[in-house]
Amino acid sequence: MNLMRKMRAAAIVGLGFALGLGGVLRAAPGENQAASAGVKVPKLEFRDVKLDNGLRVILVPDHSAPVYGIDVCYNVGAHNEHPGRTGFAHLFEHMMFEGSENVAKGEHFVLVFNNGGNMNGTTNEDRTTYFEELPKNQLDLGLFLEADRMRALNVTQANLDNQRNAVQEERRQGIDNQPYGRAQLDLDNLAYDNFAYKHSTIGSMTDLNAASIDDVKDFFRIYYAPNNAVLTLVGDFDPDETLAKVKKYFAAIPAQPAPPKVDLSEEAHYGERREVIYDPLARLPEIDMAYHIPPGNTPENYAAQQLTYVLGQGESSRFYQRLVKEKQLASQVSVQSDARIGVSQLYISANPRPGVKVEDLEKAIDEEVAAVVKSGVTSDELAKAKSQLLRQFIERRRSALFTAILIGNYTVYFNDPNLINTIVDKEQAVTVDEVNAVAKKYLVQDQRAVVITYPAADEKASSKGAQ
Amino acid sequence: MKNFSGIWRTSGVAIVAPAALATLALLAAFAGLLLPGAAFAQGQGQDKSAPLSQVQRLNRAPVNKEVLRVQLPRPTVVKLKNGLTLVLEEDHKLPTIAFTMWIRPGQLADPGDLPGLASFTAGMLREGTEKRTSEQIASEVDSLGATLEASSRFGVSYTSVNASGLISDAAKILDLLSDVVLHPSFPASELAKFKQSEGASLEQRLSSPAFLATQGFRRVIYGDTPMAVASATKESIEKISVEDLKRFHEKHYVPGNAILGVTGDFTASEMRATIEKYFGAWTGAAEAPDKFAAAVAPQATKITLVDRPASVQTFIIVGDRAIRRTDPEYYGLAVMNQVLGGGPQARLFLDLREEHSLTYGSYSRFNAEIYAGDWQASAPVRTKVTGDAFDRFLYEFKKINDEPVPQSEMDDAHRAIIANFALSLEQPSQILNDWLTAQYYGLPADYWDKYPDHIGGIDAAGVQVAAKKFVDIDHLQWICVGDRKEIESVLKKYGTVNVVDVTGKAEN
Repeated sequence: MNLMRKMRAAAIVGLGFALGLGGVLRAAPGENQAASAGVKVPKLEFRDVKLDNGLRVILVPDHSAPVYGIDVCYNVGAHNEHPGRTGFAHLFEHMMFEGSENVAKGEHFVLVFNNGGNMNGTTNEDRTTYFEELPKNQLDLGLFLEADRMRALNVTQANLDNQRNAVQEERRQGIDNQPYGRAQLDLDNLAYDNFAYKHSTIGSMTDLNAASIDDVKDFFRIYYAPNNAVLTLVGDFDPDETLAKVKKYFAAIPAQPAPPKVDLSEEAHYGERREVIYDPLARLPEIDMAYHIPPGNTPENYAAQQLTYVLGQGESSRFYQRLVKEKQLASQVSVQSDARIGVSQLYISANPRPGVKVEDLEKAIDEEVAAVVKSGVTSDELAKAKSQLLRQFIERRRSALFTAILIGNYTVYFNDPNLINTIVDKEQAVTVDEVNAVAKKYLVQDQRAVVITYPAADEKASSKGAQ
Repeated sequence: MKNFSGIWRTSGVAIVAPAALATLALLAAFAGLLLPGAAFAQGQGQDKSAPLSQVQRLNRAPVNKEVLRVQLPRPTVVKLKNGLTLVLEEDHKLPTIAFTMWIRPGQLADPGDLPGLASFTAGMLREGTEKRTSEQIASEVDSLGATLEASSRFGVSYTSVNASGLISDAAKILDLLSDVVLHPSFPASELAKFKQSEGASLEQRLSSPAFLATQGFRRVIYGDTPMAVASATKESIEKISVEDLKRFHEKHYVPGNAILGVTGDFTASEMRATIEKYFGAWTGAAEAPDKFAAAVAPQATKITLVDRPASVQTFIIVGDRAIRRTDPEYYGLAVMNQVLGGGPQARLFLDLREEHSLTYGSYSRFNAEIYAGDWQASAPVRTKVTGDAFDRFLYEFKKINDEPVPQSEMDDAHRAIIANFALSLEQPSQILNDWLTAQYYGLPADYWDKYPDHIGGIDAAGVQVAAKKFVDIDHLQWICVGDRKEIESVLKKYGTVNVVDVTGKAEN
């Protein structure tokens, strides 16, 4: 569970995939014509086939290394959960490693790693994805493992209880035992009214405790059907042979009725939402803010990504230069935005330097936001943002596995596997005027949520002072 | 956005091993498991009322028994006239380039009263040169969409400077890289800002259980040596001066101390000529490397409790001193470590998480340097099962000491390591790191060609030798970061307990 926004900023590309996937959530970035004239990202040729049972199969031969990546992305995430069962999509993801008809509990790990591979699974609000990377001579193994659990998951009470514990420890490790853990959860809770995105992916301890075997079985039947999934393979294989193998392993899995659609719309907010937390694990205060921005893969979201980079990407960015270097009010600051299926967010997070008042830092952040709303970004700033986005996108294309994961995401999120080839152009097309229009329209105080965290020690100190 | 979960994740402990070891951790993903269920019925201290969630093996999945053996492409290695060693690795898949420079001696050369000096020197490289301001450097790097960063990590014997970008910008990136390495000016105004920011980071780190565990562990096992240091201190942050930085830079940042690795879409001969243009005028002979003892007298086992009130988990690290990178025991330790804790398929994960539901993940790893580094296992566990976690660790440690690893598990381990080299072929930075490791530690030129055979040569007896030496239950050091009032009495059942606060000061 990687809930740390700061970690996401440091997303590594490549095999360190537990972290590297952070980048996937931002439906990847694009390219800048001006700054990168002459740089060509090689286009990917792919085959896009739908089996009779509805499974969408994307095959991308890439012979640059003797490996392949396989990704199965299911069109289900935390946004499909119901009140009383928060955290269930992710708990279910854990159950997918607990055994199926022909694979025992834990055997998935053993088979993949002991044959030279690597694997993981991840859940976010919009999708759940499973992936392996293996040497090319183990093509059948990856296909078999994914098909067996899509076809015949094996669920027992003991395994459910075991993984409930694992997930609750994951929550403690990532949230409850970390400074600012609560702020992370509360920020989205404030920023959304629609339950789909309001609640956390990790879920509440109470709801995790309530999850039953029947819940697991129902969820599997409704959402883990071939017609609700995308299978992507990238790597050193022959596409015809591979398609034949895909059919061999997956074709007999029966389709299911389409899952119910979820309304992801978010009504406009009237007035800023604000919360103060006294955190016993924090040693310094933190300011966390979220502004609504439009859904991913829209011109406005692409413009918002560029705006995010101008404000917060790199040490030459506005926030770093003004708040950290010039005014020396913040010890660290980050600006990030996401590209969800539905209404997305632009997040700002900053810690005041020891001795600096939270109010003074917040005022300085507000001034920077006001400045970009009033005067906009410069063409140099936009060119810089585009260079950064292009470079990062190219690096994401290095790994067969990472490319497979990206394509699976694009297909589930936006029904467009070819976004792997066009996203760079979409980013490149963003203009200064579009970025400025987005800043004016969305960096609006009435539409934002703010969580201020103080160390719990400060609460005691201030109440003593008041006496 | 941030709502994002993995089924497993390597432990949150900051990796203190050299980059190449992080690489190895990825490479060496193996260790078959399959302990029969009956073995676990003997586990001590477990709640027997709940049915165990059993790990098994059906062996029905189609596995190709043939291991895909690959060779790592050999880089071009050249030594320039000024003593700078180049390791050049061509890779033409994408239009990019990446530079990795290792400059010894790094943090181990910090004066005793200035912990963090090497780290400050590295961190300040980007904050101004003779011809560029801090802001100009930042702006040039970002405009290229490039990266440029320098760090001297604690416990690592060299400083790393990394830069990367598009191949079309190679000359501009080299210009920046050489400027910050050769001509930093360490402006006083920037140092003041840097200190502010380091002071805040230090404060933030003291709230991180993983950092506190690492800090505690290093202090206990490395005692009175530079390796015991895990961060700068309030005092050293205050004290470090521009002159200190200049002195450190002048003395140690010399071509004889440095290796520059490059990977990307270039030809080696042209890249060599380009690098000579930017680094050819750099001068300074190699310093003699620091010498460290090969063997260290072991200490009796004890428990250090780092009191972190309001914790809901106990973060446990347990381990001891181990080996240098060049020691022949490396292969035995590597195989033993992977059987025991080298990933989610290894014994610790399957026991502590999959069977006994104590943690999100438990792993082990080791760090082999120019000094005898450490081996360690770790797990964050909910507070009330702290004692159960001790029981499971002890059970697994005893088992790997006392029982030869079954042949099928050995086969899995060998196959996993060897087969995994195929995956590294699509990660040129990983291959480069492997070759830099060979170069830096003075390993033979064919080291990685022979590596699979060395690993394959470790049998069950070899694993047991490594276990007895490095997982020596009577000498392991335990660090527990958690809420003292909840766990102290439990810990006392397992040995002598020393209690310290988050800064390491003894508590009564």
